[in-house]
Amino acid sequence: MNEHTEKNIGQSQHGLKEIFKRLSRAPLAMIGLAIVVVLVFTAVFAGFIAPYGYAEQDLMAAFEEPSGAHLFGTDEFGRDIFSRIIYGSRISLQVGFIAVGIAVFAGGFLGAIAGYYGGKADNLIMRAMDVLLSIPSILLAIAIAASLGPGLFNLMIAVGISSTPNYARIVRGSVLSIRNQEFVEAAKAVGSSDLRIILKHIIPNCLAPIIVQATLGVAIAILTAAGLSFIGLGIQPPIPEWGAMLSGGREYIRDYAYMTVFPGLAIMITILALNFLGDGLRDALDPKLKR
Amino acid sequence: MKGNSRTKATLLAVSAAVLLCLFAVPALAKDTLVVANIYDARTLDPIVQNEVATSGMCLHIYDTLLALDQENNLVPMLAEKWEQIDDVTYKFALRKGVKFHNGEPFSAKDVKYTVERAQTPVGSAIRQYSEVVDKVEIVDDYTVIFKLKAPFTPFLMSLSHTWGSIVNQKAVEAAGESYGMNPVGTGPFKFKSWNKGDRIVLERNDDYWGKKPAYKELVMRAVAESINRTIELESGAVDIAYRVPVTDIKRVEENEKLTLYRHLENSTSYMGFNCAKAPWDNPKVRQAVRLALDNVGMQKAVFRGTGRAPNAPVAPSVKYSDKDIPYVKRDVEAAKKLLAEAGVQLPLKAEIWTNDYKPRRDLATIIQAQLKEVGIEVEHKVLEWGAYLDGLQKKTHDMYILGWVASVPDAEFAISGVLRSTGGSNYSFFSDAEVDALLEKGKSLPDGEERAAVYKKVQERIHELAPWVYMYNEETFHGSQKNVKGFVPSPRGYHLLTNVTFE
Amino acid sequence: MFKYIARRILFLLPVLVGVSFIVFSLLYITPGDPARMVLGDQATEEAVQEFRNKEGLNDPFLVQYGRYVYKAIQGDIGRSYMTRRPVSDEILSAFPSTIKLAALSMVIAILLGIPFGIISAIRQYSLFDSVTMIFAMVGLSMPVFWLGILLILFFSVQLRWLPSSGFDSLAAMILPSITLAAQSVAIVTRMTRSSMLEVVRQDYIRTARAKGQKESVVIWRHALGNALIPVVTVVGLQFGHLLGGAVLTESIFSIPGVGRLMVEAIKMRDYPLVQGGVLYIAIAFSLVNLLVDLVYAWVDPRIKAQYK
Repeated sequence: MNEHTEKNIGQSQHGLKEIFKRLSRAPLAMIGLAIVVVLVFTAVFAGFIAPYGYAEQDLMAAFEEPSGAHLFGTDEFGRDIFSRIIYGSRISLQVGFIAVGIAVFAGGFLGAIAGYYGGKADNLIMRAMDVLLSIPSILLAIAIAASLGPGLFNLMIAVGISSTPNYARIVRGSVLSIRNQEFVEAAKAVGSSDLRIILKHIIPNCLAPIIVQATLGVAIAILTAAGLSFIGLGIQPPIPEWGAMLSGGREYIRDYAYMTVFPGLAIMITILALNFLGDGLRDALDPKLKR
Repeated sequence: MKGNSRTKATLLAVSAAVLLCLFAVPALAKDTLVVANIYDARTLDPIVQNEVATSGMCLHIYDTLLALDQENNLVPMLAEKWEQIDDVTYKFALRKGVKFHNGEPFSAKDVKYTVERAQTPVGSAIRQYSEVVDKVEIVDDYTVIFKLKAPFTPFLMSLSHTWGSIVNQKAVEAAGESYGMNPVGTGPFKFKSWNKGDRIVLERNDDYWGKKPAYKELVMRAVAESINRTIELESGAVDIAYRVPVTDIKRVEENEKLTLYRHLENSTSYMGFNCAKAPWDNPKVRQAVRLALDNVGMQKAVFRGTGRAPNAPVAPSVKYSDKDIPYVKRDVEAAKKLLAEAGVQLPLKAEIWTNDYKPRRDLATIIQAQLKEVGIEVEHKVLEWGAYLDGLQKKTHDMYILGWVASVPDAEFAISGVLRSTGGSNYSFFSDAEVDALLEKGKSLPDGEERAAVYKKVQERIHELAPWVYMYNEETFHGSQKNVKGFVPSPRGYHLLTNVTFE
Repeated sequence: MFKYIARRILFLLPVLVGVSFIVFSLLYITPGDPARMVLGDQATEEAVQEFRNKEGLNDPFLVQYGRYVYKAIQGDIGRSYMTRRPVSDEILSAFPSTIKLAALSMVIAILLGIPFGIISAIRQYSLFDSVTMIFAMVGLSMPVFWLGILLILFFSVQLRWLPSSGFDSLAAMILPSITLAAQSVAIVTRMTRSSMLEVVRQDYIRTARAKGQKESVVIWRHALGNALIPVVTVVGLQFGHLLGGAVLTESIFSIPGVGRLMVEAIKMRDYPLVQGGVLYIAIAFSLVNLLVDLVYAWVDPRIKAQYK
């Protein structure tokens, strides 16, 4: 995947319009985009959409099968699963986007420095990234989550750090291939500062591969976060994280399977949408496909 | 080149397929008892760990000097007779003709070695039992005298705990640091193999001095997921499944091929207050919170009618449990009044901590809702076990839910570790001179009415000062195939399987 | 070639030092006292202190780390706090299960992924292609723990065909392997398809077709070999990925593998076991990557030339 994207240089020539036009020709990508938009909408307006509060208990109505009153049924406290899933979209999207944001920012920064300055800085940074890469990311995330303690914010950091090296690699690759191009040489010649060159010329030129990786990265982050919640290193109750809901419903699976089916579906549809979108974006941004 | 690389690709695929042949399928013999536990023993060295999975295995490999029967009476094991000579001196007459699994004969020097080894740093985990012993004297090959540092009434009972499993010096020294994987005892079963994290296999000791098991092999499997244990039981893959989850009780009970077992544990779980922190240092505030909570109803809701809501800190199956202390009825108005008397500003913000154990999380969720009614706003924090214990030691918590097991079924072991000011697990930092003095006295009084009166007083005093709100005495469920007979689970949490037979 | 391998292996050392430093620091800031975890809740305060002193847990960070590195260089990575066994024994007894699981999943991924990828590519835009690609996407999006639970529910609870836990028979290995393989199958399928499509567009394929060779000959003799080269890389990377991904699968199916061992070790604050385990995994990870590069060079002579 990386080899693919690292080749794309100078995407900005395409213009957003062109990209969107190409994206719109891929039906799956458009479906993905639509779902993501709906999810963002759901997350923002969760308070209006959800018929109940996510922590609202009604012990008399525990374990109710899906019905008109409770679309997805209720859990062991009589909490409305539909409402919890609606609110859960907030958590998952937050974790996904912020964790990837952390990774893109940290990885991008480190990768840009490594690629731009080369030499010792490059060596040091990339070796450090190699070290992080040689620990499986889920294990690294588990270790970080354990040392920071449970909680939404810590979860974001854990997932973010464990995916940082990917972005550092991509950005470094892009920077390396751009560094000696004419427009950068020209900027240097007119005396632009390094920082200015990095910010103005280099970063915009490696946005495309980052966008693709980040879209897929959000999916991976959501999955990792759900996995951490599943093994008990995730988010505090009663916050309705999908992975935690799935994990909690596990012990009732034989009598009340819906308790695990709906959160599982929610995760899967979200990931599916992000993957469709990421695939579509990659194709749309890939100059080779113009042929 | 292309043809060549295709061959290589094929070769890769073939070699990958060959990997399949690595997987052999072992078959289970008929003369075998297969038990599913939650997790694997950590070691088979009886003094390295103090937890039930380890004890449950050691119980079968080793013998102790004395054992407890179902009614908590002492019965002879490797000691045939015993007598108390004075406050601190006990004399044991040892069984003759007993052999260790390595062929060494059992004698007094093994008892001495066992206790002295337990007092080295290897035995840190069971120090609380071994530290009461001053020294072991060998009178002759089959007579030993234990001298205690101070009078300690539950001493004989504590010898029945697996810490007192008699080991053989030669075997321990021959295995060195890997003794935990190469245990040698005098027990009804010999160690056969251990696939870590998966199963331990023991085989019958045909030279056992006592009643020999009716079956040849004991297989203890570790099946962490509780629903999986039930599934394995239903499919007949295991003969006994420990700890059937509450959600599966009906399924096992109604299945005509299975038998359900249930028993209360020697443990009490409670919601503790941090008595070292305002406003919880004020007994009135603690009593008010207790009044605001319907602990009996809560216990029923969370455990779906199983188990028991405790009325006292000592579990009912433990010696000197006080059954007369009345339950506190929920009274929101009285609670509010008490809070006002104590001068507490409402709304009061507080935290309740639990670990990830589901019933505790569920209790906290209900506590949150009930305390809101008196104006206490509670935030629930779920901490992973290590961080939880660490946090409790830092004294920053307000309320927390935890349990305490009386590892020896005597009131001393049920209270001193948690509610004496010097207790190692006193996370409510409760400190009361009267309770301390009574506990000190109770420790050395001989069993009888006077000792019973002391522990009654302790429990009443604790009830009055309310460092805890009692949450639950957990009831444990196990399942077995119908043809399994003679399985009697123990409230200690680890169970003797030697007497099990197949019908 | 030999020089290259030697250099790569030598390069592993600084990586391992880095890994151990990161893990050491993480554990150092992790709340929780190993002594209390190991000794259990009944332990006395004196016993806890005795344990901490014995294990050097009261020393400053750098002293502890220095001692660890010093001993590790001599081949001693300590003993597990919990079991008192050497960490190497502990890990080596868990590795076979994980390797079996990962290998079996890899086999599934190859056996399903490559044929489906090839057929999809040959019949691009056909119904078969669309269905395969959608399935691949679903496989890629399915959380492993959910898939595992659903499989247990269906095959163990409803149908009673397969055991839900353990790892001691082929039957018991089926569900975990499928669970773990799902994502890899999807990735291998997609990779095979796109790589195949790319190769088919190349000039020499056109030439072969122009010469009037049969389509099957074109595909099998000319296209496939080259199309599989990038697939080898993906397969190799997946293997490393599977070693890590086994964490969740092992938890669901109660498999005594390295992943579960690590999670338990982290939860129980068994420091030497966590450190040793991560080191072993890092080594395995790096060696697999090296192996992938070598295999890659082997199947593609153009790359081989670069290493000389």
